[in-house]
Amino acid sequence: MAEDLNWAVGGEAGDGIDSTGKIFAQALSRAGRHVFTSKDFASRIRGGYTAYKIRTSVDNIQSVVDRLDILVALTQRTIDENLDELHEGSAIIYDGERSWEADIPEEMSGVDVPLKSLAEDAGGAIMRNIVALGAACEITGFDVEYLDEALEKRFGGKGSKIVENNKEAARLGQEYVEENYDLDLDSDLETTDNDYVLLNGNEAIGMGAIAAGCRFYAGYPITPATSIMEYLTGRIEEYGGHVVQAEDELSAINMALGGARAGARAMTATSGAGIDLMTETFGLVATSETPLVITDVQRSGPSTGMPTKQEQGDLNMTLYGGHGEIPRFVVTPTSIDECFWKTIEAFNLAEKYQTPVFLVSDLAMSVTEQTFEPDTFDMDAVEIDRGKLVDEDEVEEWLDSQGRFRAHANTEDGVSPRAIPGMTDGAHMSTGLEHNELGRRTEEQDVRVQQVDKRNRKVETAKEQEEWDYREFGDEDADNLIISWGSNEGALVEALDYLEDDGVDVRVISVPYIFPRPDLSDEIAAAEETIVVECNATGQFADVIEHDVLERVKRINKYTGVRFKADELAEEITEKLSQEVPA
Amino acid sequence: MSSQSDVRFTDFKSDKQPTWCPGCGDFGTMNGMMKALAETGNDPDNTFVVAGIGCSGKIGTYMHSYALHGVHGRALPVATGVKMARPDIEVMAAGGDGDGYSIGAGHFVHAVRRNVDMSYVVMDNRIYGLTKGQASPTSRSDFETSTTPEGPQQPPVNPLALALASGATFIAQSFASDALRHQEIIQEAIEHDGFGFVNVFSPCVTFNDVDTYDYFRDSLVDLKEDEDHDRHDYEDAKEVILDGDKEFQGVMYQDENSVPYHEQHGVTEDMSDIPDGAPEDAMDLVREFY
Ligand SMILES: Cc1ncc(C[n+]2csc(CCOP(=O)(O)OP(=O)(O)O)c2C)c(N)n1
Ligand code: SF4
Repeated sequence: MAEDLNWAVGGEAGDGIDSTGKIFAQALSRAGRHVFTSKDFASRIRGGYTAYKIRTSVDNIQSVVDRLDILVALTQRTIDENLDELHEGSAIIYDGERSWEADIPEEMSGVDVPLKSLAEDAGGAIMRNIVALGAACEITGFDVEYLDEALEKRFGGKGSKIVENNKEAARLGQEYVEENYDLDLDSDLETTDNDYVLLNGNEAIGMGAIAAGCRFYAGYPITPATSIMEYLTGRIEEYGGHVVQAEDELSAINMALGGARAGARAMTATSGAGIDLMTETFGLVATSETPLVITDVQRSGPSTGMPTKQEQGDLNMTLYGGHGEIPRFVVTPTSIDECFWKTIEAFNLAEKYQTPVFLVSDLAMSVTEQTFEPDTFDMDAVEIDRGKLVDEDEVEEWLDSQGRFRAHANTEDGVSPRAIPGMTDGAHMSTGLEHNELGRRTEEQDVRVQQVDKRNRKVETAKEQEEWDYREFGDEDADNLIISWGSNEGALVEALDYLEDDGVDVRVISVPYIFPRPDLSDEIAAAEETIVVECNATGQFADVIEHDVLERVKRINKYTGVRFKADELAEEITEKLSQEVPA
Repeated sequence: MSSQSDVRFTDFKSDKQPTWCPGCGDFGTMNGMMKALAETGNDPDNTFVVAGIGCSGKIGTYMHSYALHGVHGRALPVATGVKMARPDIEVMAAGGDGDGYSIGAGHFVHAVRRNVDMSYVVMDNRIYGLTKGQASPTSRSDFETSTTPEGPQQPPVNPLALALASGATFIAQSFASDALRHQEIIQEAIEHDGFGFVNVFSPCVTFNDVDTYDYFRDSLVDLKEDEDHDRHDYEDAKEVILDGDKEFQGVMYQDENSVPYHEQHGVTEDMSDIPDGAPEDAMDLVREFY
């Protein structure tokens, strides 16, 4: 198991907690260490507890654990909120000069650093968090030079004076601890020569979209999807694209659809209430056979729910949402790097099969940062498949006897030729009404059946032509099978280590496609016990699996608003395995 | 693509016979649209028509071009998306008063203020036609319908005022049966650099016996004949738009300094053209995260 250090900074929203954490995470990444971050935040801008947590190791890590070794506490609440995770030997950095009196549990080391006054010495009270970072470096034996690099990256744009002041603040914090404390945390933060990049799931989706040739994005701000739009704004233009902040989600999805019909690769992204508002247009996308990627970064519902908390509660919505019957794909990246690759795949599927593709992520993945080898995102490996886009030489083949383009031609594979505006002889109309091959409205029974079958057939074609595989971890021959989707994968992979220590053998299957999805019946039949793990209360994916295999499965559901942790999950799995399967 | 000279307006006709009631104003509205498109040098292959839902929304079916007939009220966002991706394409949106000023009212305000270079034709019959005669947002407050037996008892929306208040750069009104004027006005909307909005009086002969051809013929005042009206003058525009006593046709307002969205935001590329793989310098996107 990875020798890891767990660090956190916490305070009130508005205290600069996020940037403090990010700077330290970047310093660790620069030092060639793996980093995995997580955030606790409330849905408010100022006030309210917020924390940024970092787990770091020289080995790869992809989840959080229930342990905190060093805590930078800017408020008492930070200590109280994290009491469960603090342990004997944890160090708590705080500022004894501030008005609150830190209540440090006896068995822990309180490291009282005059953060504010040292920051003032360096040039301004605002840098007190940087003083704390310097102090943290000293406690962990981490070379402040890496911190300097991260400060340069962060403040370089603001001029050398600001950079120097911040470096000085870090130095003062470090020296203060060096002179006043003699701590032995035996957490010697080793460094390596590895170069890592550090990014979160939404950044990976945005980067994947650009790599895949997405040029038009329309969206309406909603947590936690907004940062995809923020990432694309200012970057997509470099590639000839554009982002529009629409007036609402109804507009956003319709604009994206317009862009896609005009031939651009287009996307919209939203969450919760936004996906509800978009529902009417799902059917239009499918029936007009427009290639569109609709990203849903799930958060806790229903209604406005808990906007800044984790949940995987929209599976049913993306799988079944919309009136009538809608051919679609539901793609569910299981890790941050997969957010990148699955986004690219989503665009290819959308164009190859001309139907909506739901790219379903979740809050935990969207805000979590993780280190990767840059090659993980090898741009040379990106392939773009635009499907049956016809050019001027091919269009003739698809004209009827009167020279009209058969945009909804009833083909064997269900996919029709696609002509984009501007192309001679390709002019055609499409409609949300049932229509014939020419796109003209009809209610003739045989044409209706033909077109419904044709649209559904593309899903059948895709089932045959694409690989709907799964990711697998643990012992392939184990009696116990764990199935999961979305961001739970990381915690499960790590839970394997804990389980192994306890002598529990499990096989983990992590599913990146919910529709179509891999057939797991053999795997489930071979297992003695199957548990489906997901962040919702009712077990939406477990229902799907039970429906597929006609057999009851066990379920582990978490809907507290907080993602699974590796150690917690290992315990729950062990416990579940000893219980009866519900009748 | 055909050149301007050999495009005839009939090229924009589809083979589909309209199912509108005989005498519906939408026939005239559509003819004017087709003629205006041909007259402004467009052809079906470089034109995209987005239609709403309603009798009026069927217009896309009876025309021939690239077209999408979407869901109720959302024609403008779709048209906006098309134009963003393809600044080279002529984009026209069309629909009814219910479609545009009721379910789609929010989009109307924002499409107007975005000033995307396209035209928007609303067939205003002051009734819901397709759903068989309920009150629309432009129905008179005492107009009795199946859902408002005593009239809506609310003042009608004034779409021209709504447009003006939202920062419109082109506001016009026409009458479907005044063929030449109607075509001329639509043509001006197409040629306008920005969002060309035209509210068309397009009578419903089946459900509206108040806002009839005769009514409009008798009451319409043509701004073209009013030498005092300066379409570039905001105050003049306000005066005719807020005049509650008269019905006008013509161009009420045109902002001489209109800068369409594309120019303001530098959106000029054909977004349908993408490489076979990731862009050449895409690794830079990764390096940003070092
Ligand atoms: C979401 C939704 N709500 C309601 C309808 C039913 N509907 C179809 S057309 C229409 C009103 C059309 O009125 P208008 O836009 O004035 O067009 P007209 O038929 O008069 O040309 C309504 C309410 C629908 N298609 N979709
Ligand atoms: S109901 Fe009215 S609007 Fe509809 S087609 Fe008939 S006349 Fe035209």
